[in-house]
Amino acid sequence: MQGFAAISAQNGWAMAATGAAIVIIGLAILSLIISQLHKILGFFEKGETAEPVTDEPTSAAPPAVEIGSIDPLTDLVATARQYRFLTAQLGDSFGLAQLYHALETANAPHPHITVRELKASGFLISTDKGQFSWHNV
Amino acid sequence: MDLFYHFIQNTGWYMLDYRYVIMIGVGILFCYLAIAKEYEPLLLLPIGFGVIIGNIPFFKGFGLGIYENNSVLHYLYFGVTTGLYPSIVFLGLGAMTDFSSMLARPKLMMLGAAAQMGIYFTLLSAMAIGDFPFFQNIGMVFTAKEAGSIAIIGGADGPTSIFLTAKLAPNLIGPIAIAAYSYMALIPIIQPPIMRLLTTKAERRIHMPDDGRMVSRKELLFFPIVGVLLCCLLAPASIPLLGPFFFGNLMKVSGVVDRLAKTAASSIIDTATIFLGVTVGASTQADVFLSTKSIGIFLLGSIAFSLATASGLIAGKIMNLFMKEKINPLLGAAGVSAVPGSAREVHLVGQKADPTNYLLMHAMACNASGVIGSAICAGILWSFLAV
Repeated sequence: MQGFAAISAQNGWAMAATGAAIVIIGLAILSLIISQLHKILGFFEKGETAEPVTDEPTSAAPPAVEIGSIDPLTDLVATARQYRFLTAQLGDSFGLAQLYHALETANAPHPHITVRELKASGFLISTDKGQFSWHNV
Repeated sequence: MDLFYHFIQNTGWYMLDYRYVIMIGVGILFCYLAIAKEYEPLLLLPIGFGVIIGNIPFFKGFGLGIYENNSVLHYLYFGVTTGLYPSIVFLGLGAMTDFSSMLARPKLMMLGAAAQMGIYFTLLSAMAIGDFPFFQNIGMVFTAKEAGSIAIIGGADGPTSIFLTAKLAPNLIGPIAIAAYSYMALIPIIQPPIMRLLTTKAERRIHMPDDGRMVSRKELLFFPIVGVLLCCLLAPASIPLLGPFFFGNLMKVSGVVDRLAKTAASSIIDTATIFLGVTVGASTQADVFLSTKSIGIFLLGSIAFSLATASGLIAGKIMNLFMKEKINPLLGAAGVSAVPGSAREVHLVGQKADPTNYLLMHAMACNASGVIGSAICAGILWSFLAV
């Protein structure tokens, strides 16, 4: 036997079709889960920190922080508070690369110098394994 | 005088024939490519030197050759025939892989899946040879198990190819491993013409949006667990590869076992790579390796690799038909799991079309999913063909 007959005799068509389908479906499901993973984790994180629901009207959301409007080095306490608010989505501890990215996204002026000053002033402390967290803010 | 004559008869020089000379030449060529051209030196240098020492003819029965019981090389080769080295290499690969690029762009994973289609096309091609009189006359006929082992070359993953071949067709480990690693080393020569053939200049110029969101540590921690559960439950035969792979990655991202992760990503993978390369090289003894079957494996291997590249590219073009935001179809070529060679090549070809086009991070996402995809394919083929 040869050609298509040889493939059929060795069950090749079924193997190729099933194998291809499995790998595509497998990676598609994995891709789908990955694309939703941050939302699922975010949902659970919100659940953990959610305030009890009351009938009273909630206070208005804090005004948006205008990072670029002040020089961050003039008042480090205020800067640390602003940055903490800005980086709330990073969690309790975060890498410096994440912090720089968040600050750059918010158009914060000279983020590297500011972060260095925040570290030197003890507002940003190293926790473990290259992670940092806010302190006394 | 007799003693001297016997000694002369037992020297390698006396037993050397043209087949060994050819193979030693191949070994030297591999060493040259590794050192002078820096083509996959981490693999080609050990393999090249292994080819040289494996093809020094010796007096049979001394327990010297890789196929002789109780020889040192035979014991080292045990790690190949059992699939031990590939598993260890995958542990190290996992500890070295950064999935954040892939986690930030999950849709690109589909290109990694599409590039695996080359494996199945080649499986069918090898099976189709059947008993064609021409191929039968030259001894180039493959069983279904051998066809599966050859097809996995299309995954462009050396350890995966060796693992599957060790399970399905151990007699072909040498030629398949050499073919797989050769094609991985020859990515800069094989892939770009296929990329240019299947894409237009306008397509190669497509810029990928910098849509990579910040991936949180929790996501990185959850991914290896989700990944191992999903992939290994789907194809349990891929556990020996994907189990260590995701475990290595978990060690890396957890941050609590830095020592173990660093060791897995350095000493452990390096040791396994040395033994894997040298023994695979030494397994290419001329009397076993130089056959028409090996030539067939190289031919089919090149078809597999080219088809894998082409399927990724075509999948990229097909995705563009349905997606609002076009993707650069070149990324499909990085769906083969040759990390990071194919991603680098995609980036370079993209930059040739437009020097401001940066595709590397997106290509790495496809590359990472290609590694997972080819390991799943190996598991699938093993489970289909083992019985």
